[in-house]
Amino acid sequence: MKRLFGFLAVLMVMSLVLGACGTPAAPATQAPAATEPPAAEAPATGEKTVLNVWSFTNEILTMAVAFEKTHPNVDVVYTMIPMTNGEYQTKLLATLGTADVPDVVALEAAFVKSYVESDFLADIGDLQKYADELKMYPFVYEVGMANGIHKAYAYQATPGALFYRRSLAKEYFGTDDPVEIQKLLGDFDKYTAAAQVVKEKSGGNTFMVASSGDFQNLFFANREQPWVVDGKLTVDPMVNKMIETAKTFRDNGYEARATQWQEGWFAGMNDTLKDAAGNPKKVFSYFLPTWGLPYVLYPNSTSADGSSTTKGDWAVVEGPLPYQWGGTWLGVMKETKNMDLAKEFVRFCTLDEENLTNWATGVYTNEYLKAIDPTVPDDQYQAAGDFVGSQVVVEKITASFDDSEMSKFLGGQNSYGGFAAAAPSVNARLMQGSDDAIQRALNDPLNSYLEGTITLDEMWTLWKDAVRNEFPDLVIE
Amino acid sequence: MKKKIRHDQYGYLFVAPFIIGFLIFGLYPVVNTIVLSFTDRTLMSSTWSFIGLKNFQNLFADSTFVTAITNTWELWLMNFIPQMVIAFLLAIWFTNNRLKLKGVGVWRMIFYMPNLMMASAVAALFFSLFSFYGPVNQVLVRSGFLPEAIDFIRKPAIMRGLVVFIQWWMWFGQTTILLMAAMTAISPSLYEAALVDGAGTFQMFRMITLPLIKPVLIYILVTSLVGGMQMFDIPYLLTDGRGSPGNSILTNTINMYMKFHSSKGHIGAASSVGLVVFLMTSVVALLIFFLLREKHDQPAKAER
Repeated sequence: MKRLFGFLAVLMVMSLVLGACGTPAAPATQAPAATEPPAAEAPATGEKTVLNVWSFTNEILTMAVAFEKTHPNVDVVYTMIPMTNGEYQTKLLATLGTADVPDVVALEAAFVKSYVESDFLADIGDLQKYADELKMYPFVYEVGMANGIHKAYAYQATPGALFYRRSLAKEYFGTDDPVEIQKLLGDFDKYTAAAQVVKEKSGGNTFMVASSGDFQNLFFANREQPWVVDGKLTVDPMVNKMIETAKTFRDNGYEARATQWQEGWFAGMNDTLKDAAGNPKKVFSYFLPTWGLPYVLYPNSTSADGSSTTKGDWAVVEGPLPYQWGGTWLGVMKETKNMDLAKEFVRFCTLDEENLTNWATGVYTNEYLKAIDPTVPDDQYQAAGDFVGSQVVVEKITASFDDSEMSKFLGGQNSYGGFAAAAPSVNARLMQGSDDAIQRALNDPLNSYLEGTITLDEMWTLWKDAVRNEFPDLVIE
Repeated sequence: MKKKIRHDQYGYLFVAPFIIGFLIFGLYPVVNTIVLSFTDRTLMSSTWSFIGLKNFQNLFADSTFVTAITNTWELWLMNFIPQMVIAFLLAIWFTNNRLKLKGVGVWRMIFYMPNLMMASAVAALFFSLFSFYGPVNQVLVRSGFLPEAIDFIRKPAIMRGLVVFIQWWMWFGQTTILLMAAMTAISPSLYEAALVDGAGTFQMFRMITLPLIKPVLIYILVTSLVGGMQMFDIPYLLTDGRGSPGNSILTNTINMYMKFHSSKGHIGAASSVGLVVFLMTSVVALLIFFLLREKHDQPAKAER
């Protein structure tokens, strides 16, 4: 009897241990639940062709509804999976090569390139003629290219800019004129010198930037070599320059040490940042891309209790270096059974002049969407102001933003015009699928180095170890 | 005789659901993991090949993997030992007939409560408490304990301490309840007899309680070991999901997940981590059985 108990116990232990190895497969078991669209579309009537679209943002649902208007015999089944903790990527990875794969997938900047480089996206190069017609900004479609094949297009262009506080600029630099400020902050040496001025004139109570992580993107975007050259990990001088600059900012107290997307970072936007002792602190500038204005800066410019607001006190300039941040690309899965329809959907969303104009100028209101599909949520409307990827559309609509809410927010400056000026100089040719993971791996060692707990050499070793851990086939010296 | 044989067949029918479930959800993933661990398969490419022991060579040449193994052991031991001490203490107090504590049920519930909270909620809670602009810094600086704010999230010792504390805090209630259940199952007559023989409290604990709750102890030890070796949610969610700061809370499973989740989805390499962890855990679990096996095997057999 005892022996039997022992055997059963061992078996039980084994089966518990076995669970450990099941982890990589685990997401697959969750996938079926996710394929049920959370927001059910109008019930398919008659012989509607079903198009499955997966996304991590509910933005594209708006376009999907508009698509159903022009394509009445299509039922777009829209599945939205958040990517807060990587759920979207995990679920998408788990369905690759199975029957559950969607027809069209939305891909975010951080992982679009790894899909474009993979075998899973279809060649949709015949859409390029529309891209040429609409004069899409080159970086928008270059991101969706691998080995000369077009696999994804985006409706947005997401050039970055520098937002600064007008009142503080007047105080420290004697002017809040964007032209003058751009001259003062035109490159990173100037930006660092200006940080010193801000610190001195404010008595250390205003920080040039919320965190040194804010400007990492700028340096990465202006490298001359990609991270991986011929299968070998490569560090461009721009990366060294970034680390130097970050160290200067940390050591001299030019940054508020408020990590991106965390409380302190947002508090700086509405002037409620306080250090631990309760002293008020200010942040002079934020590096944000097109979407950062309506989705990040604008909503956070008033504190939660409404007591402090910085609305109207902002201005935008190109900043020290051109860069781009984020963006949503659409690709077609190779296994799709509706190739032509899926391509048409991508064309409609990303390369259709009328749709892009409607999207950017606020035509897609609640009433508009509900008239097509009464079941769309009440907050589905798309407010005017998203920066689209087509130069043709941008040029036609820029003037319409002269009096927009965003222009008032920026003290009368037309942000759309500002982004239009910045967009052509952005370059995304160096983007690779492994970028995100390689750059992420640098964060922790870099922070330890900035704190002074490790040396520069130790930082590189730690980073290389971390990269090696995630990329077993990469040559790392 | 023939009838008996037929009856036996029903047995197979009854165990079939378990066997089928085990084969599909237990054995198949394991076999698949073992196979995968000898390949260079990635999720982003449809072609792959067998590469022998290359994955394992990479693993052991890689300091990150060794760090993850040591971290996992340290984090588990540091929370398991205090957990057992506190759980024993509480279980003894709660079941002691002479102390007759009031409100045992209430305390038991309170101690078990943290276990019901979602790991993500707990991690988010502690993350915001200890962030640079968070309440812990505010309280400590304003009351004069600290001259200026500390970036707790970036301090390896503090983050490890937090992981250990959270794991302890979430699981000591569960262990207490298991131990209490085992202790109350012991017949009071044994203690009465011991009292008559003049035994002290410690002697009774050593000679009666411990030997009789041994099966439960083994169960706790092994389940906790398995759970500890797979520690994932709290350390993953507490910082950046990469075991930062300085790989201080990088565990085996985070390491495996990072390989799976890298931009190419290296499932071959990730499986090799899983396999090593599986072997390690199995060996240690069997060692525990061996060390804590019934020493008086002969009388036990006679008993049967």
